[in-house]
Amino acid sequence: MRVFDATGTPLIEELAEYRQYVDLFRFLTLRDIRLRYRQTLLGVAWAIVQPLLPMVIFAVIFSRFLRPETGGIPYPLYLLTGLTLWTVVASSILAGSTAFISNYSLLNKVYFPRAILPMATVAACAFDGLIAWAVAMAVTCYYGYFPSWWWFLLPAVALWIVVLATAATLLAASLTVAFRDMKNVIPFLVQIWMYSTPVLYPASLIPRPLRLLAGANPMAGPLEAFRACLFHSTPDWRVIAESGLSLVVLIAVAISVYRSVEAHLAERA
Amino acid sequence: MNAISVENIRKEFALSSTGSPSYGTVKDLFAGAWNRKGEKRKFVALDDISFEVAPGQAMGLIGNNGAGKSTLLRIISRILRPTSGRVRLEGRVASLLEVGAGFHPELTGRENVFLSGSMMGMKRREIIGKMDQITDFAGIGSFFDQPVRFYSTGMYMRLAFAVAAHIDTEILLLDEVLAVGDAAFQQQCIERVRAVGRNGQSVILVSHNMTTLVQLCSDALLLDGGRMSYFGAASEAAARYLKIAEARQGERSYTEAGSAPQDRVVRLRSLRTRSREGATLAAISIADEFGIEIEFEVLEGGVALMPSVIIRNEWSAVLWTTDTSSEWHGRPRPAGRYKCVAWIPAHLLSAGTMRVSASIHSFHPWTVHLEANDIVLFHALECAGGARGQFAGYIGGGIRPLLDWSVEHDT
Repeated sequence: MRVFDATGTPLIEELAEYRQYVDLFRFLTLRDIRLRYRQTLLGVAWAIVQPLLPMVIFAVIFSRFLRPETGGIPYPLYLLTGLTLWTVVASSILAGSTAFISNYSLLNKVYFPRAILPMATVAACAFDGLIAWAVAMAVTCYYGYFPSWWWFLLPAVALWIVVLATAATLLAASLTVAFRDMKNVIPFLVQIWMYSTPVLYPASLIPRPLRLLAGANPMAGPLEAFRACLFHSTPDWRVIAESGLSLVVLIAVAISVYRSVEAHLAERA
Repeated sequence: MNAISVENIRKEFALSSTGSPSYGTVKDLFAGAWNRKGEKRKFVALDDISFEVAPGQAMGLIGNNGAGKSTLLRIISRILRPTSGRVRLEGRVASLLEVGAGFHPELTGRENVFLSGSMMGMKRREIIGKMDQITDFAGIGSFFDQPVRFYSTGMYMRLAFAVAAHIDTEILLLDEVLAVGDAAFQQQCIERVRAVGRNGQSVILVSHNMTTLVQLCSDALLLDGGRMSYFGAASEAAARYLKIAEARQGERSYTEAGSAPQDRVVRLRSLRTRSREGATLAAISIADEFGIEIEFEVLEGGVALMPSVIIRNEWSAVLWTTDTSSEWHGRPRPAGRYKCVAWIPAHLLSAGTMRVSASIHSFHPWTVHLEANDIVLFHALECAGGARGQFAGYIGGGIRPLLDWSVEHDT
């Protein structure tokens, strides 16, 4: 017996419902992956090119003019590790922010738990990320940083990135339903987020007073942890812990915004 | 225990000042802070709807366009959330509001079957189990593993129907699918709805085709302007529906000054569908002759006016455009009132909801004096003894003339 009324389903029940839709999630993810690479010249190689191309550009520009101090780590490698993680989050948000509004006809014709749409987009981007990740690991070994016990922590970093990408994409997609101009604002926000995150530069470049705020960025934690795992440096545990808290806040905000938008999704999307 | 119980459902839609469904921009958010004038108007789509459907029962849902049928189906299938009231469901629901929902042109037929099927609530294993039946039903051969965008419209529809026809849930909601399917799918649907009693499944069926609806459903709910007008025996509901239709439709007259479509030369007075005896008809048996009457007033004489009437069917296909009075071709009309009737022969129309538009033109130079689109609606009803014969399924085509067949037979 299921009951639907004006208040909607409680969060716990809605989460339980996603289990029944695992197959749909899988087919939607496969659809996104297939559509992205079908009839493209490079195919899956795009997954590697995506973080690699900006790496080359930034490496040429920044190592010429800025010469960032990365604690002995070759700058291109530093960039590649940062961009590998960042690309998953950024491409998820950019591709997934229109997940609701561009699927209006579907949302108005069929019921399924709505968040499956942005989640499938994130899963497809994470698939790309996995390929890029493998390449990044190979490059890391090439530069002489060999596997260590720390590598066992990498799945936790990957999980963090996927959860972060999901929460951010869900928030972006929900906001885009409520305010149509978010579609144009989000690419700028993603840019700003990237430049305020130590993707291109080391955290040590941030002025000291601002560095105290580093933990407010849920992206700072996985970057710090990822580089510590690969380059055997000592991680800044305080930043990682604070960043984890920020992630929890982001998840809570994303879910509550999504649930308030979800009530009228088929009317407004 | 009922399969479906709907309790006091009310549904409001917010309309912005422009009358379109509301969605905001960031600008509105800031503007709203000091400008609360832009209050949102509300449109009540459904009010105080309650009914129950037992397991194994088929219920019909009847009403004019805009009566709230689709909104109600969307609430039961959880696409929309009610403003108040609640829906209780026992069992899995599949709603067929559109065939081919979720199809993507770049994916192959097989991939689309998985995607569309899983959207309708089928599990991967169920889809694999039914794949042979679905491919047989679709009958599109080697195209099954080609992207859907290479399909003809016919193949696309067959595949979409094939998925839809194999959904196997306790509750099935069908919105006008009988009106768009091909004959085989129609038959499958009808068989399916007939079989519900045996399998203990429940169906809610929306249809404008009263004949099929009465055949398939024991009970029906008649909606009128978002309210329950009648809930009970399907035959009674159908009869009442036709009465509502008669009261509202079949005639549009412009009595108030200023409301009528007009220009300097001519003003439209009324448009209606009528019988030989002069009664306005909103529902017409396709076995009967009827007339379409246009009445207009020429304000400024001396122009060779050409009034014409356009009939569209429910898919907006133009069935024909007719100039209602040939003897006046090219003849300047003196001022005064004109009433022209075009007589439509029996056994010409196909069943369905038809819309009539009126316009008045003149030549040299080509001028459109007035144009009034879809101002009259009438229902062409199925009847016995027509071109349909004994066949109960879907018959394609915009018109269905009763033709004189001659048959030669050799042994």
